Amino acid sequence: MLKKLLKYDLQNIYKALIIFYSLSLFFGILTRIFLNIENSFIMNIIGQVCSGITISMIFNILINNLMRLWVRFKNNFYGDESYLTHTLPIDKKTLYLSKILTSIITLFSSVLVIGITLFIAYYSKENIEVIKNLLLPLATIYESTVITIVLAFIFVCFLEIMNMLQSGYVGIVLGHKKNNNKMVFSVLSGFGIYLLTQIFTVLVVFVVALFNKDLMNLFYTMDSLSVSTIKLCIYLAIVIYTLNIFILYFVNSKLFSKGVNVD
Amino acid sequence: MELLECVNINKSFGNKNVLKDVNLTISRGRIIGLLGKNGTGKTTLIKLINDLLTPTTGKVLVNGEEVGIESKKIISYLPERTYLDKSMTVDKVIEFFEDFYANFDPKKARQLFKDLDLDTTQKLSKMSKGMQEKVQLVLVMSRKADLYILDEPLGGVDPATRDYILDTILTNFNEGASVIISTHLISDIERILDEVIFIDKGKILLQSDSDELRRKENSSIDEIFRRMFKC
Repeated sequence: MLKKLLKYDLQNIYKALIIFYSLSLFFGILTRIFLNIENSFIMNIIGQVCSGITISMIFNILINNLMRLWVRFKNNFYGDESYLTHTLPIDKKTLYLSKILTSIITLFSSVLVIGITLFIAYYSKENIEVIKNLLLPLATIYESTVITIVLAFIFVCFLEIMNMLQSGYVGIVLGHKKNNNKMVFSVLSGFGIYLLTQIFTVLVVFVVALFNKDLMNLFYTMDSLSVSTIKLCIYLAIVIYTLNIFILYFVNSKLFSKGVNVD
Repeated sequence: MELLECVNINKSFGNKNVLKDVNLTISRGRIIGLLGKNGTGKTTLIKLINDLLTPTTGKVLVNGEEVGIESKKIISYLPERTYLDKSMTVDKVIEFFEDFYANFDPKKARQLFKDLDLDTTQKLSKMSKGMQEKVQLVLVMSRKADLYILDEPLGGVDPATRDYILDTILTNFNEGASVIISTHLISDIERILDEVIFIDKGKILLQSDSDELRRKENSSIDEIFRRMFKC
């Protein structure tokens, strides 16, 4: 049943995202073409315009992906379509799991398309050299490679977006437990939950810092941190965000299992 | 074991008690009219049976078990609103029902759509609200369910469409199944009812065999309803 649910959830989200993916890639190609035509002022201007559109398309993909996932969640579980969703012979945990997997898959594909677009539009040996030179000192400090640094950054961003998305989901579920002003409560609860996850993150770092003097400097001084402390911070960020995601997942699953009240 | 039992159901929204100590039993093979004025708790009761609401107290039992996956397999529910994803085509919706309901008969659905002269490649968003409601009715009645729950199927439709809806219900429901029809348009459905349930202000006022009630009161169900619920 999960496979079937996923099929319809993914179809619904990709139906719109495909348009943005295509536009992003299209303008990425145009950017590459026009910026590579030398000695033409007009072509250069068109290239810059295309470049601007490509960047805005990239942001559009991310924002659209997030918004569509939230709207789909709300419509499916609390809108008119909920009359169909909640009367399907499927348990509520599976319904929710499908939404989470859809979120992970679509966000992953969006990040991939963004990467491909950037590659198409801006790849050149010089640009790669600039990025390498920019990140190499950082990689040396972390005793790592540039690729690992880039991947770690993308991974932490991915976890942060997932955390934000799930806070929104919990907000929608909590908001719809109220009898009035459900949308207002959903938004406020979503913000509240997101804030709580951030406070939780700081708290865990503080607890760990009680046993690590270098890490405690993060709270009491403005001094630059040692390499090992920065590394520890990154590891902690990954562990805590992953923990947040799992906690929010179980909270929502539990809330759902207690039943819903649709309008 | 009864097909459906509602045991001491109470449902409140904040301070407002919408259902008050509702006790109800539905047997197999009956067509039941859930009759009451607007806003008396008919839809709330139906939503509780379909797991769209959680009772404040009490429980709903289907085949002796609390509502859940098993009850959803055997209940075919038509809500009073359009609940399908409007960006889907009719073909896609048929595929959806086939995917999720083991008792859905796609051949029957396609035949009914053909009788309606409906182009199944058409998107729901391109159809009139009336046509969308017919699509829903066809899908719901194409399931071989044990219990059909139809919430206001006749609301806001013209007399010709009412006839079509009633005809579709009567000729397509699974043999041996029960049908609960919630409505306030009693004269239109009176002839097909085996049993009636009168609900008012969240309370069940009466549950009776319709022929017996007619004999006892010496008048039609519609007249009895008008007398009981006179404003």
